[in-house]
Amino acid sequence: MAINTLIVDDSAVMRSMILKTLRMAGVPLGDIHHAGNGRDGLDILNEQWIDLAIVDINMPVMSGEEMIGRMREDPEMKDIPVIVVSTEGSKACIERLEHMGAIFIHKPFTAEIVRDAIKDLLGLGENDESKT
Amino acid sequence: MRAKLEEILFRVAIDTLEKLAFMFAFPGEDKENQQKGSMAAGSVSFTGHFSGMLVMTISIEVLQELSVNMLGLEDGEEIDGHIRSDALKETINVICGNLLPAIAGDKVIFDIDVPRILPAGEKIRAGAGIPDGLAPSARVNLKFDEGQCVFFLFLDGEMPKEVVSL
Repeated sequence: MAINTLIVDDSAVMRSMILKTLRMAGVPLGDIHHAGNGRDGLDILNEQWIDLAIVDINMPVMSGEEMIGRMREDPEMKDIPVIVVSTEGSKACIERLEHMGAIFIHKPFTAEIVRDAIKDLLGLGENDESKT
Repeated sequence: MRAKLEEILFRVAIDTLEKLAFMFAFPGEDKENQQKGSMAAGSVSFTGHFSGMLVMTISIEVLQELSVNMLGLEDGEEIDGHIRSDALKETINVICGNLLPAIAGDKVIFDIDVPRILPAGEKIRAGAGIPDGLAPSARVNLKFDEGQCVFFLFLDGEMPKEVVSL
């Protein structure tokens, strides 16, 4: 199973770090799409088949929280699994995101944390992991 | 309170640099104006339970290593200046995002502004909009093999009482 993944973060370096971490974690990746804010992320979700969205919170133009809220209101996107990767430290904000079905990962993160979150969210077993 | 703030800032900075870029630092000497060689600087402002700004200055050589490690590149690979700037902004953003709840707890909300790059040298304070004469509430020096990194935490006004009591 190859996972088509959307990475949404306003930092190009952080998007590259997340992709590097996904590869280190052995996640079987399909097509990778990048966006620098929530609005561009929604545009990609409208155009591409995405299995997993990895989203930052504090971004210009449209925040990750607003993006996820709009995803959950859209019948075509509401079931797409979302992982939030953010420095957000407010318990209330994290609980709001989890209430929307997202798994929260705090920056800085390790490959193991990302791998475990994806396994939980997508129900992957060891046989699904990439051999590369 | 200053000693407590510096202890928290030191711990968060060390932990973040280790996890973000596999970089290990040691406490540097606490001397003013000891920075030598080319430096880069960035800042991030925050508002909320208390407000202020975190400023980070870093040797160009250390910033190069930070960027290379964050991207998983080979040592010596060329990196554009805008990538180094992005790495610096993301690093200070992550440190600030972890520092504030470490100081004030996870029940309070902060709004962290977009990080920005500051002019180097003596123009850092003016570029960051820090008033003349305002001393940092905490200052932490980190030493690396290739250079150093210094953090300055500036706070607007008094800290709330419950934070001071930490």
